[in-house]
Amino acid sequence: MASINFGYTISKPRAIDVDRNNLRRSDEILHEMPELQTCIGCGSCTAVCTAGNLTEFNFRRVHTLVRRGEYQGAYEEMNKCMLCGKCRLVCPRGINTRGVVMLIKHKLGDL
Amino acid sequence: MKFYAPFCLPFIIGATTMFAIVLGKWLVWLLRLPRADKMLILRGLPSRATFGAIGEVFCESLLHRRIFRVNPVLGYMHMSLAFGWFLLISVGWIETVAHLGFRYVPLQGHVFFKYFATSLEHKPFFDFAMDLLLLFVLSGVALAWGKRLRSKALGMRRTTKHVLGDRIALSALWFIFPARLLAESATCALYGGGGFLTGTLGEWMHDRIGMLALMNLESAAWWFYSSCLGLFFVALPFSRYMHIFTEIPLIFLRRYRLRSGEKATSYDRFQLEACSRCGICIDPCQLQSVLGVDNVQSVYFLRDRRYKMLRPEIADNCLMCGRCATKCPVGIDLNTLRLNSRDRLRNLPDKRRYAYLKETDRSQGSGKVGYFAGCMTLLTPRILQAMEQVFTAAGEQVWWADRDGGVCCGRPLKLSGETDAARKMMRYNTELFRKHGITTLVTSCPICLKVFREDYALEGIEVLHHSEYILRLLRTGRLRLSHGDTRYTYHDPCELGRGSGIYDQPRAVIEAMGQLLEPAETRENALCCGSSVANTAISDGQQAAIARSVAAELEATGAETIVTACPLCKKAIARGATKEVHDLAEIVAAHIRR
Repeated sequence: MASINFGYTISKPRAIDVDRNNLRRSDEILHEMPELQTCIGCGSCTAVCTAGNLTEFNFRRVHTLVRRGEYQGAYEEMNKCMLCGKCRLVCPRGINTRGVVMLIKHKLGDL
Repeated sequence: MKFYAPFCLPFIIGATTMFAIVLGKWLVWLLRLPRADKMLILRGLPSRATFGAIGEVFCESLLHRRIFRVNPVLGYMHMSLAFGWFLLISVGWIETVAHLGFRYVPLQGHVFFKYFATSLEHKPFFDFAMDLLLLFVLSGVALAWGKRLRSKALGMRRTTKHVLGDRIALSALWFIFPARLLAESATCALYGGGGFLTGTLGEWMHDRIGMLALMNLESAAWWFYSSCLGLFFVALPFSRYMHIFTEIPLIFLRRYRLRSGEKATSYDRFQLEACSRCGICIDPCQLQSVLGVDNVQSVYFLRDRRYKMLRPEIADNCLMCGRCATKCPVGIDLNTLRLNSRDRLRNLPDKRRYAYLKETDRSQGSGKVGYFAGCMTLLTPRILQAMEQVFTAAGEQVWWADRDGGVCCGRPLKLSGETDAARKMMRYNTELFRKHGITTLVTSCPICLKVFREDYALEGIEVLHHSEYILRLLRTGRLRLSHGDTRYTYHDPCELGRGSGIYDQPRAVIEAMGQLLEPAETRENALCCGSSVANTAISDGQQAAIARSVAAELEATGAETIVTACPLCKKAIARGATKEVHDLAEIVAAHIRR
């Protein structure tokens, strides 16, 4: 019997090979916004997210993938953000999340 | 009578160059204005606005009344230079007419009249008047020198750091009037005449300096005076002194109702170059006073933009609290210019963006009154609950626009420069409000309030901040509050106070419940909480530092409770405060009399 689906599905398991990914833009992002490295991945940003409440947009997921060099689709995802700034107020590490959104968009798309 | 001497050349070349460049600039800026703006000018020219503008040019460009209001000593300095110089020119012209009648005299004949008029009989009245005016201007120059040495003596903590072109023009300007004094005195020493200043100095020189040396000195002094003028005039269009000739058309255009908007236009040029870089905007900036950031203030922002060296770090690092704009003696619309710079740097039209906005209506209830909590109120549920209690007590049927999640008002995105994308959210919310047929829209977030009033097309829907709405309930007797003896202090949110002009309503509501104590900086001068959504550059620690300084000032009033009327200010100040911080709605809900 298939297990009950409670609706809390997580991403499919997959391997990210950081050695093979091109980390240049990721490094640039972390260089300009070093505080992003202090992220503990608690997900508070995503829990309060205005856009995340209406769509599948998941800020924690996107910026984590970008840091690992997984840029595919990240720009389009980041463009769902409304920049309302709630994430910044709840971040326990005081990360300038709005700055992170703008920086990732700038590095990955607005060229 | 001949009105030419070789020393006039630097002045003639300088003045001709300056007028050519200034006229060229005016013409290009005017021609590049959008069509609608040109129509406004044509319609405004034959109206009363023109007379108003002439009066304002006199009061501001010459007398500098607005600087007087900020700082009298600084006002005197600017007035003595501008009005004094203007009087020197106009009284000098009258003097020429008094001597020679109405006949054509070339420009250098007016400017160097003392040099050419040695053979004419003396008119002691003009000698005295011109010396008095020269003294008036020289007193301003002395203050300007003093200000460079010790800015604090003139009531400015910080004074502007200048670019090279400014330094050249500034140095030339500083020497123009001392040079004039020296040149006129030397002429008086040789030919007699002159008033209490040039005459006395001339006699003194006559007694001590030999004839030959004096003649050499006279020639050198007039050359120096003319060279200073020439150098100043050539540098003027490329330096801060372009403001002299830009503020005048700016005043006219502003009276004809031209405005800057979220997209840059040619009108912005008039505002950019009207900045005199006086530096009055530096002291009110909390990024400067609390954090010591000293390269982002409006004066530097305008300078960088004017010389096309604006970097995003500078454009982004501003709270847009508007404290500098209330002090700006030229009345430049600093926040809007900052905004359309960001638009230029960052706006990318993307048709696919926010396609998900369709089918996201999660509104609840129905009624003629709509309540839009806004993102920040959703993050501070106590305010939302308080508003619910207020609505219930007043017996109001409410349509809840976003209690279970909604679309952001669009102002944070607009402030970051993505103005086209922000329009999509604005359109979505407008349609939502229309669909549910509300006639009144209440919000407890001043950020939303400002964008609703300024950017949304909400004809037929009255937009109210909750402080206005609650006061209306009190005045019409639909809500009754109990009065206690708690002492409150009130923090003016930037977007509510300076942004929307709402100062009295929240105060009236607080006074219905207790005693209100005003902090040192209040109303138009109120401090910013530091967490403004307009700033994406400062760090969390820097935001907290500003919050602590604001909280300290509010607590210094001795009040037991700090009240504000913005969910973002509440959260920001609470981080730095030792006393309780509440939104107005929470206090009201706790005082409802049933």
